[in-house]
Amino acid sequence: MTEYLPLKSGSDQPAVTLSVDEWIAEAVAHEQSGRPDEAEQIIAFVIAEKPDYVPALFQASILSYKRKQMQEAIERLERALALAPDEPLLHRNMCELCRSQWMLDKAVFHGRRAVELAPDDAAAHYNLGVLHYDRMEIEEAIAHARRALALEPAMASAHFELAEALLLNGEFAEGWREYEWRFDMPNSPRLLPPTDRPAWDGKPMPNGTVMLIGDQGFGDTIQFCRYIPEVARRCQNIVMACSSEMKPIVMQQNSAMQYFDRWDQVPAFDAYCPLSGLPRLFQTDLNSIPAPIPYVRPDPAKLAYWRKRLEDLIPRGYQSIGIAWAGRPTHGNDFNRSMALRDLAPLSQLQNTVLVSLQMGPAMAQISDYYGAAPLINLGAEIADFADTTAILALIDHVVAVDTSIVHLAGAMGCPVSVLLPFAPDWRWLRDRKDSPWYPSVQLFRQTRSGVWTQPVSAVASNRSSVVERRAHLRT
Amino acid sequence: MNGLHPSFCTCGSRLRPVRCCQLDLMTLGPAAASRHLLPLVDQAIAFHARGELAEAQRICLEVLELAPGQGGALAVLYQIRKAEGVLPAAEALVRRLVAIDPNNVWATQELALLLFGKGDHFDAEFHARNAVRIAPTDAQSHNLMGMIMTEANRPQIGEFHYRRALELLGHRQPILLANLAWNLKNQGKMTESRALYEESAELAPDVLQTLLGWARMEETDRDFVRADAILDQADALFPGHPSILLHRAVIRGRAKDYASALALLDQLEQLNQGMGLGTNELLEKGRLLDKIGRYDEAFSAFTEGKRKNVEMSGTVYMSDHAAQLAQRLKAYFTANRLRIVPRAKPIESGPRPIFILGFPRSGTTMVEQTLSAHPKISAGDELTFIHDIANLMPRMLNSPLAYPEALADLWMGDQYEGLDNLRDHYLQRVKQLGIIETGSTRFTDKMPLNETHMGLIALMFPQAPLIHVLRHPLDIVLSVYSNHLTHGFYCANALETIAQHYLLVMDLVDHYRREMTLKYMAVRYEDIVDDQEAHVRRILSFIDLPFDKRCLKFHENKRYARTASYAQVTEKLYDGSRYRYRHYLEHLRPVIPVLAPTIHRLGYSIDD
Repeated sequence: MTEYLPLKSGSDQPAVTLSVDEWIAEAVAHEQSGRPDEAEQIIAFVIAEKPDYVPALFQASILSYKRKQMQEAIERLERALALAPDEPLLHRNMCELCRSQWMLDKAVFHGRRAVELAPDDAAAHYNLGVLHYDRMEIEEAIAHARRALALEPAMASAHFELAEALLLNGEFAEGWREYEWRFDMPNSPRLLPPTDRPAWDGKPMPNGTVMLIGDQGFGDTIQFCRYIPEVARRCQNIVMACSSEMKPIVMQQNSAMQYFDRWDQVPAFDAYCPLSGLPRLFQTDLNSIPAPIPYVRPDPAKLAYWRKRLEDLIPRGYQSIGIAWAGRPTHGNDFNRSMALRDLAPLSQLQNTVLVSLQMGPAMAQISDYYGAAPLINLGAEIADFADTTAILALIDHVVAVDTSIVHLAGAMGCPVSVLLPFAPDWRWLRDRKDSPWYPSVQLFRQTRSGVWTQPVSAVASNRSSVVERRAHLRT
Repeated sequence: MNGLHPSFCTCGSRLRPVRCCQLDLMTLGPAAASRHLLPLVDQAIAFHARGELAEAQRICLEVLELAPGQGGALAVLYQIRKAEGVLPAAEALVRRLVAIDPNNVWATQELALLLFGKGDHFDAEFHARNAVRIAPTDAQSHNLMGMIMTEANRPQIGEFHYRRALELLGHRQPILLANLAWNLKNQGKMTESRALYEESAELAPDVLQTLLGWARMEETDRDFVRADAILDQADALFPGHPSILLHRAVIRGRAKDYASALALLDQLEQLNQGMGLGTNELLEKGRLLDKIGRYDEAFSAFTEGKRKNVEMSGTVYMSDHAAQLAQRLKAYFTANRLRIVPRAKPIESGPRPIFILGFPRSGTTMVEQTLSAHPKISAGDELTFIHDIANLMPRMLNSPLAYPEALADLWMGDQYEGLDNLRDHYLQRVKQLGIIETGSTRFTDKMPLNETHMGLIALMFPQAPLIHVLRHPLDIVLSVYSNHLTHGFYCANALETIAQHYLLVMDLVDHYRREMTLKYMAVRYEDIVDDQEAHVRRILSFIDLPFDKRCLKFHENKRYARTASYAQVTEKLYDGSRYRYRHYLEHLRPVIPVLAPTIHRLGYSIDD
């Protein structure tokens, strides 16, 4: 590159002159130093001056993506692709960009083109595999993940993608093994501070101490804490390292455990194991999922308090449906699993029904926009912890929720739950089926089209409506 | 510019400011120090009694220049200014009399009456109560309390004082009987009211106010023929009196004879040469024009009525005050704080409240009439007690802070049950009103804009149903504009300020709904009109009561609703009030951009 572009930073200052590639490098440096606006200013100048320069358009697209300007990113990449239609990297990125915007058909075109142009690019196969998972083309997802791993055996993301696809398929044995790669993924937090203790192999340790780690979200902790009694049978001394919010639930599995929510307080241990590693250790397969339901129960004092409170709030004879429509917004898959309260509109038409909002966090703000016919009671405003939620779940008639910790808690209690799942759900909900071997009281309602909640929500509403009718019939 | 001498006080007393409104009462000497002026004061009194007002005024001004606290001169000058209609001066002078001698019964009663005439019921009540304290056996003190309480929508207390006044007088004074009759009309006790009007008119057949009140009572009781006959009787005594014309126009309007009603108002306008119609007449005219589809003329009448109201009363929307209160309420009522705020305990026995919330003119009266047709529900009407409690709270919780910050004292060991006390105070006041009918287990409170205090209500009554009546915001704004209302920090005089206050209140409702667990249900006025039975059933089941067919015939509910909408709720449900804004889209254009987001959020659209 020999062409130079002058950029005047001020009328009375000398022109600063760099090569185009130097300007691009300058923009990348700004972006990587957390100055996206400065980066954009430079890149916009470069692509205005050199509109046909593919590397500039490519970087401009990446910058737009990082600035969450997705439409702009796609437009810039399209301009680059028009100039260089056979450049595999452009197709690979376009595949991921389109996937993030639910443009799955367009994504698959570019994903396929990328692997066609660069059949040995592991990342292109990985991207296409992820896309196939989103399209619920699980066999293709597995094939591309395997191809990526054949090209790059230590690619942790591809292992994890393979694990998710296998587990979703019910192929647990290989799935659990691949699932262990999750801690090697880029940006994955460390499981625990540096230690010379080994990972637990699941063998009995009659005089030893095992430390269990609540390594993932609340839902995972609730799902996998069912294994604690099995751990206790092999090793009586258990140290539990987990967030304080989970204590009322986890301690119900073994009251003799020591519970810590700070690493600097954790005592000595002989081996450790993340909770989410226990299914592998205990060789869980589809037919041997332990479901000692209920393994979570409400606190009697909390139950008495909430019974009175709900009696005051819920009209007599009304069906009470607990609802939660959004998960933790920082969860990587939140855009896929969460919905807006307005998407639950068919529930608001149910007769003699009260919607009991169990929603916590920023999504609670949507309650003020709800003016549906069924009354909505915002219990989230009075819920202090999971002990409150547990008591409430024990008292209401039914729960309708997206894939959040509420679902796991209700499932662990044996409460009836309708789970609204995205088209490509998390692996634990398996494929096609309407029930869950993890939680017998759970009924699954799946999207039939990516990103469209209408069908599953209507199905839940219709299901609940028939309950109201049956009740009315019984009363007459 | 204002016709006053530049050195005179702006109140219009014709005293110098330093001897009038700028006077520091602490600088006044003892009464005995001005005893040498008493002969002059006696002269002023004598001149005044003979009707020689100029002389009386001259002497009073001289005396007050020398001794600005001289009671006799103040009293005479007050009476002169009051007779002249210079009310700010009259008020300043009589206030000074009361400040100098708080035990002056006459002055206290005069001040209460003056404030009552001005519509300042809050201040009037303060002084009327003092009058009763100073002179508990004086019939006029009780009569004043009766008048003020009746108009302040606490007619049961008013009735008590009227009856006490009658007892103290020892005879059937006709004006007092008419006052009591008006009070009873406001409570819906029509038979008793009618009997008292008949008695009053027999004792004093030529009192115009009695006849007008009686006609209004008959009109309220839907006996338009009798109302007309009484107005004929009044017309024979006071031919062509403007008040008679206005009352007759109202009756014609209620009888749906809109053309005659308008003709009467035109006649009234011609009588008031140069002055035109007053606020109430103009608004009435606008509503009549609306009924017959002359929308542009109707809107002009509303605008002119509001202009006159501002001109006469000087009231403007207290936007800063309203915004500041809303901001403080939002800062206090947050989920995190409220998790550690104690709630009042449930009501163990006796009737429980149902709060019907909504902006004025949103349909709260209709919902109350509907519910109170149920045998288990008594109508409480517009109860001022939540507002009163907000004002009383610092005293009741022994807090140095104002509401809502005073609620911080609930964390004190001696105030932990403070909300129980506030709740009991409310219930005690309700009991005192005597509104609870036999067999009722609930009563309604439909004070407009109580939603401003939804947080406080939910702390005092955590189990109480909150029924929020929604209506198309443009219909609400239009309807408030076409009626004379003082609610909402005087927002009702301009479309823009009505919209501004509406949005402020809806924002508060949003806040409470986000931050609190409420037994809240929204009902749409339009839905009730569309499918009355379905929505009445919905409301009744929400408040845990069985359906009762009588609720569907709320127009047969003989109870008189004391609000601007009473004439409407005595009619069957009709479509006319739904989406009336469509006829006024051009006129409403200034407020559409600010209201549009809320209109859409509530599920309404803007159609022409």
